[in-house]
Amino acid sequence: MTRYVVSRLITAFALVLFATLVVFLIANTVPGDPALAALGDEQASDPAAVAAFRAIYGLDLPLWEQYWRFLQRLLQGDLGVSIATRRPVLDDIVDYAPATLELATIAFFLSLAVGLPLGILAAVRRDSWVDHAARFVALVGVSAPTFWLAFVVLAIFYGHLDWAPGTGRLDPIAFPPDRITGLLLIDTALVGDWETFHDAAAHLVLPSIVLAASTLGLITRTTRAAMLEALSQDYVRVARAKGLLARVVVTGHALPNAMLPVVTLGGLAYANLLTGAVMTETVFAWPGLGRYTFRSAVAVDFPAIMAITAIVAAIFVLVNLLVDLSYALLDPRVVRK
Amino acid sequence: MSAAAEPLVAARPRPAALRWLRRYGLATLGGAIILAWIVMAVLAPWVMTYDPNFVDVANRLQPPSAAHWLGTDALGRDVMTRIVYGARISLSVGLVVVLVGGLFGTLLGAIAAYARGWAEEALMRVTDLVFCFPPIILAMAIAAALGIGTVNTVIAMLVVWWPKFARLARSLVITQRSLEYVEAAQSIGFGPVHILLRQIIPNAVGPLIVLVTLDLGQAILVFAGLSFLGLGVVPPTAEWGAMVAEGRELVQQWWVATFPGLAILTVVMGFNFVGDGIRDWLDPHARTR
Amino acid sequence: MVNGWIGRRELAKLIGVGGAAIAAGLPATVHAQGRRGTLVLGIDISDTISLDPARMAQYTPPMTLNAAYSSLVAFNAGNYVDLVPALAESWQRAPDDKALRFKLREAKFASGNPVTADDVKWTLDRVKNLKGQPALYILNIERIEVVDPRTVDLFLKEQREPVLGALASSTNGILERALVEKHGGTSAADANVADKATAWLDTNSAGAGAYRLVNWERNVQIQLVRNPHYWGGKPAYDRILIRHMSESATQLLAIQRGDIDAAFNLIPEQIATLKDNKDVRTEGLVSLDFVYMALTHSPELNKALAVQEARQAIGYAIDYDGIRDSLLGGVATRSASFFPIGMLGSTEKVTKEIGFREDLDRSRALLKKAGLPDGFEFEVSYGNAAVSGLSYGVLAQKLQADLARVGIRLKLNPMDQVNLRTQYTTGKSTSVLTFWNPAGVRQFSWATATVERVSKRLNWTPPADLVKLVRDATLEEDKAKQEALWIEYQKRMVDHANLIILFQPIYQTVVRNTVSNFPLTAAGYQVELENARP
Repeated sequence: MTRYVVSRLITAFALVLFATLVVFLIANTVPGDPALAALGDEQASDPAAVAAFRAIYGLDLPLWEQYWRFLQRLLQGDLGVSIATRRPVLDDIVDYAPATLELATIAFFLSLAVGLPLGILAAVRRDSWVDHAARFVALVGVSAPTFWLAFVVLAIFYGHLDWAPGTGRLDPIAFPPDRITGLLLIDTALVGDWETFHDAAAHLVLPSIVLAASTLGLITRTTRAAMLEALSQDYVRVARAKGLLARVVVTGHALPNAMLPVVTLGGLAYANLLTGAVMTETVFAWPGLGRYTFRSAVAVDFPAIMAITAIVAAIFVLVNLLVDLSYALLDPRVVRK
Repeated sequence: MSAAAEPLVAARPRPAALRWLRRYGLATLGGAIILAWIVMAVLAPWVMTYDPNFVDVANRLQPPSAAHWLGTDALGRDVMTRIVYGARISLSVGLVVVLVGGLFGTLLGAIAAYARGWAEEALMRVTDLVFCFPPIILAMAIAAALGIGTVNTVIAMLVVWWPKFARLARSLVITQRSLEYVEAAQSIGFGPVHILLRQIIPNAVGPLIVLVTLDLGQAILVFAGLSFLGLGVVPPTAEWGAMVAEGRELVQQWWVATFPGLAILTVVMGFNFVGDGIRDWLDPHARTR
Repeated sequence: MVNGWIGRRELAKLIGVGGAAIAAGLPATVHAQGRRGTLVLGIDISDTISLDPARMAQYTPPMTLNAAYSSLVAFNAGNYVDLVPALAESWQRAPDDKALRFKLREAKFASGNPVTADDVKWTLDRVKNLKGQPALYILNIERIEVVDPRTVDLFLKEQREPVLGALASSTNGILERALVEKHGGTSAADANVADKATAWLDTNSAGAGAYRLVNWERNVQIQLVRNPHYWGGKPAYDRILIRHMSESATQLLAIQRGDIDAAFNLIPEQIATLKDNKDVRTEGLVSLDFVYMALTHSPELNKALAVQEARQAIGYAIDYDGIRDSLLGGVATRSASFFPIGMLGSTEKVTKEIGFREDLDRSRALLKKAGLPDGFEFEVSYGNAAVSGLSYGVLAQKLQADLARVGIRLKLNPMDQVNLRTQYTTGKSTSVLTFWNPAGVRQFSWATATVERVSKRLNWTPPADLVKLVRDATLEEDKAKQEALWIEYQKRMVDHANLIILFQPIYQTVVRNTVSNFPLTAAGYQVELENARP
């Protein structure tokens, strides 16, 4: 077992590094020179100034040496300095990560809270109107483009009905709390600043609904399918034949077995939320990692791009590992190689 | 069924037609939607009266009216015409990405799974690598390297699209290859290629078809998303995601962004309904009811 | 206060609310009624990288820098030709005619210490030696000498070349030497590696401006407080908050509710909705920025564009009025050439007389003369941005439709910022649609740019007499003669037709009527915060 885990961890690490290498190579085929975009207009036309800038960021070194430096710094926990913001990338990421974390977590729990019961109900009452309604809702959630849903939701609930606050994490003139974790709900609660807590929570409503929509669909469908699968198993028939109450059969026998695929999907979905919030964050002006990723990609900001790739790859690979481990723990046949 | 136990799942007897409708009603609806879009996309030049690229700034941002059923955009172009022409792009891109990526991925996955050994391992690792990529970064990097445009975006999408087919094909082949009919065929003396093509793939094709159908919708969504971000099509080509991007700031002139998004929604829903229906049809448990 | 960041309690005290209210728990959002004394601005400040004057090269930091620092000389809002005294009371040529001698007025820094000639020398030396973009604007200063604590000499390399306009820029705001040195600043020759004061200057100021910088929270807000020692009198506000709002829709709602006093980034469609709002007014300001299309001269990139008549044909085929009226809500103007209206020699009258205008017949005739009666094809590159609410994509598509009328087929090539700048700066662009905004107000900077670095980007060798014309105009001291020379220069540029001006934005800032005086300026810092008054 430990050998399995260790070998997987090593592969995981190699994968992350390889991902950064691929991104580095692709980014270097870009004909654009980030130095020219980062400098002011007059400096950009001054070859000496451009050369000096490139030297500072090591852009004039041969490719393999640039990558080698990146690796060395990475192992020391230094993610380099962003070309666009002139700040250490780690500072940028620490700045933006909590916003995405908060949003993704709320969205995830929202989709669980709605998706699980919906899926179970749809399976138990198969082909009834409940089933159809649940499947319809799930399908709309999965089919609606996130960027469009965000716009529609904003236009209706903010633009026309004025029920929800506008974009951003807080009201423009609210004073953000002192930063402890960066998660507004926690920071405001810790100091008892309930007015700002309320404001932050209100701002979380719309974007988390939008972000949750597609995950909701996925969770509903998977839960439904898994429950259907579990309910048709022999042990369920046996339970029924024994005369157990339906509710007991469902929750006590079918549900636990149905949860495995749901848990794995949930893990992947959470990782997806963390890394795929670009659209939602863009439309809601949410200062999170998604927007930072997009901006860095647009600016061909090598250090930032590679740092983000490393982090995203690490998240995915780790989540995959955890999921596979849970399989291995529950089903010993998997470990055999 | 003893009187004491309640039915776990509603299995009340119904006329066959109604039961069929309950099971495959949504799928039929989906099929109808897709068919409607395909017809509109094909017949666009003959049916639409406006030119999708006709700029008329004096008439910009007009609300839906008799002259312009869905209003005009920021350059005075007819929104409905652009939506119908946009269907041509979206549907073709979806088809190309899924079919090419799907074919490539399926073949690769099936061959690797059948060959086993290091080929299979290598496949797993390569697909892992692609999976852990932030797709946005990949798409933007390719766009920056090759330039913005439909073809380049399709290339970027293909790179990330084939692995899931490879994975699915591999797992299907694994389950199939240990089945008896394969052993029987091998003992008779059929070669691996024959077994792969004639025995394994036809039996595995069901889930693949489901994935293809569902993925057509996904590909359209992803392409629209990339166009929204500024990649994808080159202006002035009409494309749904780019149209939503142009209307993003115009909350008062909501029609510019809302209708293209609705188009995406209906098409993707259509594919999802059909895919679900096919999956239900293939599901052995469903048949027993 | 912690590091200058104001807590709600301090703010409450500042705006004069009683202790009971504090005890009752003042709400975090500050409503319009309770915040007399604080000026709140809503603007997108995401481009801010640093607030160190010597490193400034972006669009929005000058607003803050101009409020926190005073320079030797200044412009009055709206007048970009005549300089007025600021920290320098008067200036003249030194007796031996080798330097400009400035006499400083009695002024104090925000810390209470007096402004001396030594601070002036130290500041300008630091700007030069830090080798940031601002250093390029004072290259002409060879050295600075302190004559006495209130007199300083600037020795120029070229005696006649104007340097005062550059000195008025907030990048040359005078810093308090002792304070900055305490935080790692240096003006020595190796300042570009040895100076460590930038981090401190990002959240504090060491200047003599009307307000003092007390905090900058990246992408959240910039806070300034009144400088009690300001030489220009008592500033009208206790505190200025510059709040980051990236979405114009947010700014619209905030100004309607009174949460902010001024909104800078509203688009024409949104401003139209405020027409009947009694609480706000729209102040328009003719900027010194413009959006233009640059055309290459290189036949390798495009054979047709290398022909002068073909380029001129483009200039006459564009529907300028349509762009202004329909796409910009009528709120824009247009200069004749690469020289904005507001500078000496560029007015709307000049544009009417010598500039391009829509004339399809003339365009077709020019195409015939160029040997291209059926038109030609060329490609234009542009980035993903918007000016005055008009995105380049929409503008490009409009141009495409316009040019198609005479048979010119425009291919659109949207690019990301990095590729665009690289392609354009290295002279590989066939044609570019982009934006020019001056770092400071220097009469000659546009013309010099067109015959120097911009010409390289267009693969164009400007004729020697044109270069001489620019030089003569730059050095000419008689205003009337200078104006004539600049008009002549513009005529020549229109003739070359390689830089076609599409529009010069009139920036619309929406201001609440609780602010009586809000002097907008195009001189880089957008508004004279020192003169804002309730």
